[in-house]
Amino acid sequence: MNGWTGQILRVNLTAKTFKKEPFSEEFARKWVGGRGFAAKILYDELKPGIDPLGPDNKFIVALGPIAGIPAPNTGKAVVAGKSPMTGGYGDGNLGTRVAEQLRKAGYDALIVEGKAERPTMLYIEDDKVEFLPADAVWGQGTYVTNDWIYAKYGKGVGVLNIGQGGENLVRYAVVRSLEGRAGGRTGIGAVMGSKLLKAVVVKGTKPIPQADPAGMKKVGHDDLRQVHEIDKKTGWSIQSTNGVLAWCNEVAALPVRNFRKTHHPDAWKVDGERLNNARIATYGCPNCTMRCGITIHDDEGRESELDYENIGLLGPNLEIFDFPQIASLNYLCDEYGIDTMSAGCVLSFYADAIDHGAVAGDFKFGDAAGAKKLLGLIARREGEIGNLLAEGSLRAARKFGHGSEAYAMQVKGLDVAAYNCKFIPGMALAFGVSPIGAHHKESWVITFELKQTSRESYGPEKAKKVIELQRIRGGLFEYMVSCRFPWIELGWGLENYPKYFKLATGLDWTLDDFWTVSDRIYALMKLFWLREYPQTDRKLDYPPAVWFDPTNADTEGPIAGKVLEYDKYDGLLQHYYDIRGYDKRGIPTMATLEKLGLAAEAKAAERFGSLT
Amino acid sequence: MKITVKLIGPFVQAFGFSEKQLDVPVGTTADGLVALVHIDSARPKIVTRNGRAVAPDEALADGDRVVISPIYSGG
Repeated sequence: MNGWTGQILRVNLTAKTFKKEPFSEEFARKWVGGRGFAAKILYDELKPGIDPLGPDNKFIVALGPIAGIPAPNTGKAVVAGKSPMTGGYGDGNLGTRVAEQLRKAGYDALIVEGKAERPTMLYIEDDKVEFLPADAVWGQGTYVTNDWIYAKYGKGVGVLNIGQGGENLVRYAVVRSLEGRAGGRTGIGAVMGSKLLKAVVVKGTKPIPQADPAGMKKVGHDDLRQVHEIDKKTGWSIQSTNGVLAWCNEVAALPVRNFRKTHHPDAWKVDGERLNNARIATYGCPNCTMRCGITIHDDEGRESELDYENIGLLGPNLEIFDFPQIASLNYLCDEYGIDTMSAGCVLSFYADAIDHGAVAGDFKFGDAAGAKKLLGLIARREGEIGNLLAEGSLRAARKFGHGSEAYAMQVKGLDVAAYNCKFIPGMALAFGVSPIGAHHKESWVITFELKQTSRESYGPEKAKKVIELQRIRGGLFEYMVSCRFPWIELGWGLENYPKYFKLATGLDWTLDDFWTVSDRIYALMKLFWLREYPQTDRKLDYPPAVWFDPTNADTEGPIAGKVLEYDKYDGLLQHYYDIRGYDKRGIPTMATLEKLGLAAEAKAAERFGSLT
Repeated sequence: MKITVKLIGPFVQAFGFSEKQLDVPVGTTADGLVALVHIDSARPKIVTRNGRAVAPDEALADGDRVVISPIYSGG
């Protein structure tokens, strides 16, 4: 088998054992890698109803057939488990040397089971696995931990680690790597923490099996150079992802004041131009030639890496328009190992709940010092409020009551990314039907909605576009595993990916073959939900209620007086289900499952919930 | 008539300004304005007028704010 190493490494922390498990070519072709491997393994191996923060959950690192091979932008890994935020399937991806090192060690995936007796660092070097004490860095942040690991092994190893957030089971704790990278905002860092797994360190020395290594090397290096040239020509990385902030502000899509407002006169202070002016360094993932990580100094002189999502949600959404302050909040989230996006949403929700009398407190929008203090309380789960906000906005809202759940900005328990969909129906749908909660990585349709359709439309063209992008973004790039940025930001052709796949595996697939895999994985993630929530219905695919509330409409600007409409949104959702072959609850029908080769998985689901 | 033009992202560096006000003839269209500020016609872009997408042949009005942006894809 080329392209894949053909081996999964299974580690049990309770028993301190490990074994190499071969997988079949049929498994590889059906699930490809990354998210596909992770979803299938978790579906087959997790008993429905288990505590995501208990020893029965599994921490997965999964790679794909082009992961780690020099080509545009393959230095990424998927981390996954049952999500502590949503209770459903959860994953995320991050840039890390683990992509290359784990593949060179001879594995396409790592499964970590059980729970260690004491804080542990897992060290993997080819066929060797060591369970090492991590007491020296337990209680420390991710920067300190990373330095401790580099001091032991040098900077060439692959590292995944957690901070205090993961240790203390903050439900939106992330996995961190490379000082500036984070993944798994569905709470995968807390899954590591629940196992007392502080870090995974990987070193590999074997060649990654490829069908045409010489061809792959030439094409990979040529294409990396071409991507770099396109980036230089277009200037995308001058402002990087934060270029979109000024645009969102212009078209009423910026989250401001817990998403209650869609634009703000001070937004220019934290836009891409100002970020570029404040830049002190630029970072990227392995195998990347369009580096997106812009660092600036925070208000204490620390280097903090910013992108649009964390600026949007820790900045305007908290009504903070000062870069050093935003950078400081971002630094703290990174050091604690908690998701910047959910942290921003949880804090904005808390300020909004106080504002609306749902809870007493003195935290206000614009209070950067208060936000910093709260982040520390959350990371340590200190005090009643720190402990509650560590649970995420939905659980906090259920505790606060007084109707506050309507403005907890989440879907399925996962907080919304930094796009305000008060009147962007298709993007609201993209958040609604994202299989892991309101994540922007699955589908993003705002420019399509504004440029190629009417913003007011709830027509099937929007549902179709959401699905098209899910197949590419949440599908192809998540199971191959590589970064979507060359395609989405520079227009690097999708046709390149079957080419890389063929050079790596020898398999000659069309893009339609890939879309079938994408649809299969999306259907499986839905079955995961059905098993966990047998009474599931389409309401789980609704965006936050406040986006439908006419009293929340903008009073001026391009969408003055407009909000989403329930009946129309429900119709749009039905278009999505119809095109996907899902029933009225949003669950794939038996016919759809059989068509996707999921008859056995359907049978496993039927023990817990009905299929139509 | 007076039109405010705002460029977004890499267009700022590529075309040499961030935001400016222009005096343009009555009847100037969105496409006409894009040509006036020398935006490369080959660059994929989205043009909005007062926050809403505008057709290329749509006539502008005095006081409009026109934003010319590359096609972002949401990171």
